[in-house]
Amino acid sequence: MKLTNLHQFLHDFFTIQDCAVREETEHTLEVQLTRELDQALMNRPFYWHYMDKMGQQGVPMSLSLNTSPEKLDDQKEWIHFGSPRLQQIFSYIQDKARITLLYEQTDGEMKTSLLPWLVVNVKMEYFGKQKKDHIQSIGLQLINGTMLTNMMLKLDSLPLQRVMSDYSYTISPLIKPSSGFYRIFQYFEEKLSNEDMYWASDAQKALEDERKLLEHFFSKNDDLSDLYEQELYRVKERLEPKISLKVINAGLFYLSENTNASIISQ
Amino acid sequence: MRIPIEKDHNFISEFSNLIHSPDQLCDWKLFKQSYQIAETLKIEDFDTLVSPKFLPHLTFLPHQQKCAETVIQEMNGRALLADEVGLGKTIEAGLILKEFLIRGLVQKVLILAPASLVNQWALELNKKFLIPALTAGKRTNWQAANIIITTLDTAKREPHRSAILEQNYDFVIVDEAHKLKNHQTKNYQFVQALQKKYFLLLTATPVQNKLTDIFNLISLIKPGYLGTYDDFLQLYRDQKKEMEKDPYLKQLISKVMVRNRREDTGIEWTKRKVETIWVEFSEEEQAVYDLIETIFQGVQAFSSVTYKREFCSSREACYLSLKKWLESSESMEIKEEIQQVMARIEQLPHHAKALKVAELIKKSDEKFIVFTEYRATQIYLQWLLKQEGIPAVIYRGGFKKGKKDWMRQLFQEHAQVMIATEAAGEGINLQFCHHLINYDLPWNPMRLEQRIGRIHRYGQENDVTIYNLATKQTMEEQVMELLYNKISLFENVIGQLDQILAKLEMKNLEKEISQIFAESNSAGETKIKMENLSSVISSMVDEQVGETS
Repeated sequence: MKLTNLHQFLHDFFTIQDCAVREETEHTLEVQLTRELDQALMNRPFYWHYMDKMGQQGVPMSLSLNTSPEKLDDQKEWIHFGSPRLQQIFSYIQDKARITLLYEQTDGEMKTSLLPWLVVNVKMEYFGKQKKDHIQSIGLQLINGTMLTNMMLKLDSLPLQRVMSDYSYTISPLIKPSSGFYRIFQYFEEKLSNEDMYWASDAQKALEDERKLLEHFFSKNDDLSDLYEQELYRVKERLEPKISLKVINAGLFYLSENTNASIISQ
Repeated sequence: MRIPIEKDHNFISEFSNLIHSPDQLCDWKLFKQSYQIAETLKIEDFDTLVSPKFLPHLTFLPHQQKCAETVIQEMNGRALLADEVGLGKTIEAGLILKEFLIRGLVQKVLILAPASLVNQWALELNKKFLIPALTAGKRTNWQAANIIITTLDTAKREPHRSAILEQNYDFVIVDEAHKLKNHQTKNYQFVQALQKKYFLLLTATPVQNKLTDIFNLISLIKPGYLGTYDDFLQLYRDQKKEMEKDPYLKQLISKVMVRNRREDTGIEWTKRKVETIWVEFSEEEQAVYDLIETIFQGVQAFSSVTYKREFCSSREACYLSLKKWLESSESMEIKEEIQQVMARIEQLPHHAKALKVAELIKKSDEKFIVFTEYRATQIYLQWLLKQEGIPAVIYRGGFKKGKKDWMRQLFQEHAQVMIATEAAGEGINLQFCHHLINYDLPWNPMRLEQRIGRIHRYGQENDVTIYNLATKQTMEEQVMELLYNKISLFENVIGQLDQILAKLEMKNLEKEISQIFAESNSAGETKIKMENLSSVISSMVDEQVGETS
């Protein structure tokens, strides 16, 4: 689910945030920010502080972006994967989209029951001599404990909304969401125990080598024992292999029986 | 083996708390966008550099990218970068820093750079690498500053010193590593005491000459890597070994040091064209020059070398220096004669060499950088050029940061000429200019290389023309003919010269030459001594070239 079309991504983002698109071409985008986004992106806290003090509304700024892969020689701000502006927008999204509660939209007048799923997107970070990441999206059905991978892809085609449709009702989880998280972490631990950890042995070996060097270097000089401890700590920090499981975001999703059947059988 | 796994338990409580507060929840679209961002930013594998993808506006040279890969993958982020001048060490360091930042391995960064380069570092990191780096001011809050650039001198002074030593830096870069050659200095001990995970030392002056220098630098990067100081001395000093001749040591060092040389980079460098321009003194000038020589000849304690050299540069330089001598000297011996010389200098018309420079520049529309050794000459030249309608700016190492930047910009946009003194040799890049005039030649070829390196560096698109001015029938003629031309210094890249000088146990070539001039009793003796010196050097250059090619 990598982001391939940056322009579309930004267009969607600003639309979701209720910002009016003023002008748009293939590679340019001019949007009128809302007050919330102005505060989040434009870095002018004093302006808003002042407006609030004066009891005035304040005028949010607009943003004029060049989304093409090439820098153009014009007034528009060039936005690309390394640009501070995009980083800012990314962290805004990551901050706002930590947790969700969503219901599958159902139509008709039939009574429909919705079953609870805990969806957890996890980033596994491998720290060896270097670092790499692995991302997995896990869905855990909170009634029967079915666990699925690639959950985000499975959800992507469904109509999901913040409120429940008429005539729908939810079934309460049998597994508490917090125990659901533990089950998911457990799953990762098992999965990891079967992986080839060559990278960790490499790092461990490098750590051992550097530790020996340090010991030798500082062995003849007791005055420097503080420095030795400090260096050793830093070597460990740099080379000690570890894995960290970080939750990107997670949500409780209520899905219809039909959907349940179809995603489980996929 | 068992690997510790850290789990995000905090998230579980956050989730349980917030799932009941609707205003903290997001809709599907934003939820999906956040996931997409994570997928996009993830580090796919341990080895491939991810940062170039985030810097689409930059193109890295193969040796720069290779350097970053080597430092990150093989050296685990602790290394000595010792590329030759002009190959882009700052770019390499910036790329390494960017990579660590993107991989989330580094947040807190300290960069120690020479005062003249602090602003340039800030500019390059911010503009090129989009890294929000700040320069330190008087009231820097070291704890709050994430990526900060300052000088070693500021950092090691209280109150900064204690505050900095309290910080846990993820990455420290020192761009004046030559100041860390001696392990007994405050500089060294300060850098050693810094808490740092990743660590880069940058130096343009190769340090292989003196084994203890390199031992000290490497012991900062990887304590113990070359053993203890005593072990090392015992092993290498006793046997008077040289690194180049010790393949084992060389290999060891190659694992913590990256050193690219121009010829290894595979880049087509623009050419250097060298032209010697001979100047002849007017009769009056020649008479004064000879007079200075004669006056001092009888006096054992003083040598005319300095004054003659100054006189070759400008009347002003020599006059001021003689005046200073008169004021400070207690000896009455030749006072009168000196005053006489000064009176004659006052009568002289314009300096022949200065007129030559004006003539040369006037013929062209190109920009010129003119290097001189003397401040008095610098000001005189600026004045003279102005008379000729040629706008010129001056530049000195002692200028404040802002003034330097301003002068550089004036030169780029308005002035035709920049007149710089030696101190300006380091730290500014003037690729937009490709004509260089050595108004007077330094007697140290390394300094000459640094001068040329200001304009003949990566980014220079034109061939570089170097004009060397020398006055006939003066010491300048001898230095030019007997030293520079003999060892064809201008054509060769000087990378190896410092190694050669070290082999000759001649740390300061300039002193050596002064001595030859001062101690020789006749022109013939000077000539023979200079010829000996240059033939030794050039035979070693040949040997070196033979070894490396």
